[in-house]
Amino acid sequence: MELVFALGLIAFKVALLIAILLLLPLPLTWLERKIAGHIQQRMGPMRVGWHGLLQPVADGIKLLTKEDHIPAEADRFLFKLAPILALAPPFVVFVAIPFGESVSVLGAEITLYVSNMNVALLFVFAVIGIEVYGVIFGGWAANSKYAVLGSLRTCAQMISYEIPMGFAVIGVVMLAQSMSLLEIVRAQADVWNIVYQPVGFFVFFVAGLAEAQRIPFDLAEAEGDLGAGFHTEYSGIRFAFFMVSEYAVMLLVSVLSVILFFGGWNGVLIPLPPLLWFALKVAFFLYVFMWFRFTFPRYRYDQLMAIGWKVLLPLSLGNIIITGVAFL
Amino acid sequence: MSRALDRSGAWIGWAFFADLAGALALTFGYMFSRSVTMQYPDKEKWLPYSRYRGHHFLTRDEEGEIKCVACELCARICPCDCIEVIPYEDEKGNRHPAKFEIDMARCLFCGLCEDACPADAIALGQEYEFSSFSSRDLVVGRDDLLGKPGKATTGGGVVAARLNTEQDVLVETSEPQGYNWWRNIRRT
Ligand code: SF4
Ligand code: SF4
Repeated sequence: MELVFALGLIAFKVALLIAILLLLPLPLTWLERKIAGHIQQRMGPMRVGWHGLLQPVADGIKLLTKEDHIPAEADRFLFKLAPILALAPPFVVFVAIPFGESVSVLGAEITLYVSNMNVALLFVFAVIGIEVYGVIFGGWAANSKYAVLGSLRTCAQMISYEIPMGFAVIGVVMLAQSMSLLEIVRAQADVWNIVYQPVGFFVFFVAGLAEAQRIPFDLAEAEGDLGAGFHTEYSGIRFAFFMVSEYAVMLLVSVLSVILFFGGWNGVLIPLPPLLWFALKVAFFLYVFMWFRFTFPRYRYDQLMAIGWKVLLPLSLGNIIITGVAFL
Repeated sequence: MSRALDRSGAWIGWAFFADLAGALALTFGYMFSRSVTMQYPDKEKWLPYSRYRGHHFLTRDEEGEIKCVACELCARICPCDCIEVIPYEDEKGNRHPAKFEIDMARCLFCGLCEDACPADAIALGQEYEFSSFSSRDLVVGRDDLLGKPGKATTGGGVVAARLNTEQDVLVETSEPQGYNWWRNIRRT
């Protein structure tokens, strides 16, 4: 009985998580277009529903009913595999992400995470690394020059930026003495990590921007010079997969920033429910992502590499050393 | 000294991303400025200035007779060769156009016909909604031109509008004067 209940709970949590992650891009695309519009003194979507609120639904229906085109020269197996490979890892990662302390519903303790791994951080970085395969396969299988160029760039970019990103969080791990995300948040109950680790956060966030392939590091799909980069040849539902994956990674980087550096669900001053605090902080980071997108131009490819290897990597290494020395 | 200070100041600013922060502040400011979108055709509509060069119209004199004397000067000066005038003489011996056709599909709205006309008979008015599915419908004859609205009297502005698609597609407005669209333009 106990076992059935526990399994049912896990299944329910996983289903809920998948539903949320699949549905969240809807409001996020709306928000992104609204923010884009208002920053450019436009209004953004206005016609479908109140202030264009149903526009993402209309777009979704359009994407689902569009022809799912596979180029004649494409590697059909990899072409079909790539969107799934790009979509699955960001979803899998959320298994390890805690959203709050346990809550008690009807007398039963319910934890707000699917699993509390003691190496959660390692798991997150390992799984998110798989996403790059989706991008590479997608670009390669399409057999188009734009797509190949886009995926080659992404490949180099992801590898370059995963290293400083991994190093940047080591400071946090040292402070919390644990790789479990739950422990890391608990360690920040009094003082958030951003106070001790501003450089770490900076490196993490910049690398996160690159990892999520957002402006100013969106070379993989640089609309201006590559068509749409690695997903140039994709259409219909497969294109939607890449889109959802992109938003999921964006959400993941926001969530990780909040958990690792901004105290997770620990609030300040105003006593709000922890889950609300968490959501507010994540929403702020999502806004920052969009705000950046419509403020900055894109970096050149060599600049991107230079920033990754010559600025972020030394900074993150120095951060580790200083944290270590301060600890002693 | 001060230049060196300036330079070191700039360096400090650069190190702390003062330029990027400035850009972010600018876009944040814009985010809360009023948008300039004119929600044509179902919510708002633009009223042209009096100088606006829209659809042509022909005018009548006090006796209700068409002012045009069919001198064909407008047809001559038109760079697009889109006016066709065929004159006739009425019983009093005055020349008038028997046929006066403008091909709006070719017209570039330069207004030269208006300038050339010795009788102030033709001018470019305020109407700008005359798109059609066939370029044949854009050849407008004498009687239609006589019925077209004249120059705008009020200055440009944006008024509330309503889209009526019952028979034709019409954008209806009732107010004669609206707000000045330029007031929402932010210049920084
Ligand atoms: S506005 Fe210019 S192009 Fe149009 S009919 Fe007059 S002269 Fe010709
Ligand atoms: S509209 Fe004016 S210029 Fe043209 S034929 Fe008539 S009088 Fe002459």
